[in-house]
Amino acid sequence: MSRTSILNAVKKNKPELLPLPEINLNVFSEDIDLVKTFIENVQFVGGRAILLDSIKDIDAEIKNLYPHAVKMVSCIKESSLGSISISKNTEPHELETIDLAIVKGELAVAENGAVWIAENNFTIRVLPFITNDLVLVVNKEDIHLHMHSAYESISKRDRTFGLFISGPSKTADIEQCLVIGAQGAISLTVFII
Amino acid sequence: MAHADEAAIFNKDEEKVDWHDKALWFVRQKRDKSAHNVKGWETLRNLASAIKANVMSNLDNYLIQFEENAQKNGITVHWAVDADEHNKIVHSILQQTNVKKVVKSKSMLTEECHLNPYLEAHGIEVVDTDLGERIVQLAKEPPSHIVLPAIHKTKEEVDVLFQKHLGTKPSHGDPQYLTNEARKHLRDKFLKADAAITGVNFAIANTGGIVVCTNEGNADMGAHLAKVHIACMGMEKLIPEEKHLGIFLRLLARSATGQPITTYSSHFNKPASGTEMHIIIVDNGRTEQLSREDFRASLHCIRCGACMNTCPIYRRSGGHSYKATIPGPIGSILSPGKDLTKHSDLPFASTLCGSCSDVCPVKINIHEQLYKWRQIITKNVPQPVVKKTILKMAGRVLANTKLYDFAGKSARFMLKYAPRWVVYSKLNTWGKARDLPEIKDGNFDQWYKKRQRHE
Ligand code: SF4
Repeated sequence: MSRTSILNAVKKNKPELLPLPEINLNVFSEDIDLVKTFIENVQFVGGRAILLDSIKDIDAEIKNLYPHAVKMVSCIKESSLGSISISKNTEPHELETIDLAIVKGELAVAENGAVWIAENNFTIRVLPFITNDLVLVVNKEDIHLHMHSAYESISKRDRTFGLFISGPSKTADIEQCLVIGAQGAISLTVFII
Repeated sequence: MAHADEAAIFNKDEEKVDWHDKALWFVRQKRDKSAHNVKGWETLRNLASAIKANVMSNLDNYLIQFEENAQKNGITVHWAVDADEHNKIVHSILQQTNVKKVVKSKSMLTEECHLNPYLEAHGIEVVDTDLGERIVQLAKEPPSHIVLPAIHKTKEEVDVLFQKHLGTKPSHGDPQYLTNEARKHLRDKFLKADAAITGVNFAIANTGGIVVCTNEGNADMGAHLAKVHIACMGMEKLIPEEKHLGIFLRLLARSATGQPITTYSSHFNKPASGTEMHIIIVDNGRTEQLSREDFRASLHCIRCGACMNTCPIYRRSGGHSYKATIPGPIGSILSPGKDLTKHSDLPFASTLCGSCSDVCPVKINIHEQLYKWRQIITKNVPQPVVKKTILKMAGRVLANTKLYDFAGKSARFMLKYAPRWVVYSKLNTWGKARDLPEIKDGNFDQWYKKRQRHE
């Protein structure tokens, strides 16, 4: 059986056990303005991050930014813009024509403008990719300095599917010209509350 | 054909070579800028290197742990000793689930295994969904770079290709228009696909999960719409713990393109309800490479492409000239391990400047390994007479301080006083299309001694 033969070959060929290194996170600590750095990095990766005083303002902001969005899925209770409701039984292909989706981000990362979203925040896995525009909402206190701290924070989660999203989908495959809007969402707005 | 001959063909289009060279150097500069922004960058590289070394020294146990955890989460795990077995496993999964249409995201492993032609021969449609890969697929070419698969194509070439295959209008190669058209075309493919094949950037032993990184979102569009997801991974993709992703994800995109992280870093742990998820763990020569003490570290590679972007040879010879799935410096140490005779010229396609090792996020000693392959190859593979004689002479000169000194002095003398036609004659290939540096009086040795005296 291939499994046995591969494992035997590894056993035979591997070097003597080398230790896992100790990770001293102090090396990476920095005293910086997390919100400011996060906003700058979201811009750098082609997205938009907006600081809101209150979550109550979110619908007005979205209407203002996306005046043409009609088919909207809201996965947060604070927004009443949702015109399409989804459940665990929704057939993913039906989301093909969604204009905009609003999803709660569990945390954000200052160093790279990424937001972590997990399946229970958006129910149907393909939603944040297939939607034309994506809106994420994160709390100011949930912005972490770097990825190490982010992973620590999600280490106890129920692992099904989750991802870091940094900016809208993009490509530079044609002569290195950056084009926003490849196969996933063509725009990304992050509201920081 | 040898690498040098292939490179000569690539160099016929001078304008294109210049563009290729500069475009990749620009990516390298973006990498530098991005790396310098990270506090503790060198620590990250050291940690990544040490973690990978630990993985290789305990790979069997990590593989078993990974398999166990993945199975607990409802993922089916398969093992393939070689490319052929890998392809057969993929095909049998597709057969069992009655799949006719497959969308595939970037995976150098499936390139290595020549999966597409295998599936196509069995009547299955395979569509590469990364834009760059779709371009080369339509052109019936292999990727020329592991991160930028179509970097060798001009926008005008893409324009013509899309007119023919996607029915686009002539646009003089407008990237925005062409990308939009590709988006529509691929959307349709995603919606109709029965199965999705993806690569794996990292497989995590202590969770049994995998992480797939893309900028386009194509891996996710495929995997979440199709009923079947098959993830193909080389066995070296393992990392021990999920927290180690913090280190690798900080390094990967910055080294690759200068982005702080890829747009999407998707963590797959369990199949969605009503769908199947398979992972195929592939050896295909990796256990053999593991046995070679000098070359083992080449398995640490996280496929960022930085060594290609920085390599003066790669930039000016193009990825196709290597005639290997993984081109550039890292490919030149992986390929001879697979077929020494076929790839014996690749370790010589380098100036040994060491720039590759300097940028490698997992600190592989690439240029040293290239040098080691050279020693093995000159012993085992017949070499052309000219190369042999020159190397012998160089060896003698370098081994003898007096001779070296003399050779250096005379070379500088020649550069300074010899007429241009001598330096740039046909005999001196290096002089082709190159201006030699202005020669300063004194050499390094003299400068160094002078400097020491001043101190
Ligand atoms: S060898 Fe290093 S630099 Fe080259 S692709 Fe692999 S990880 Fe990147």
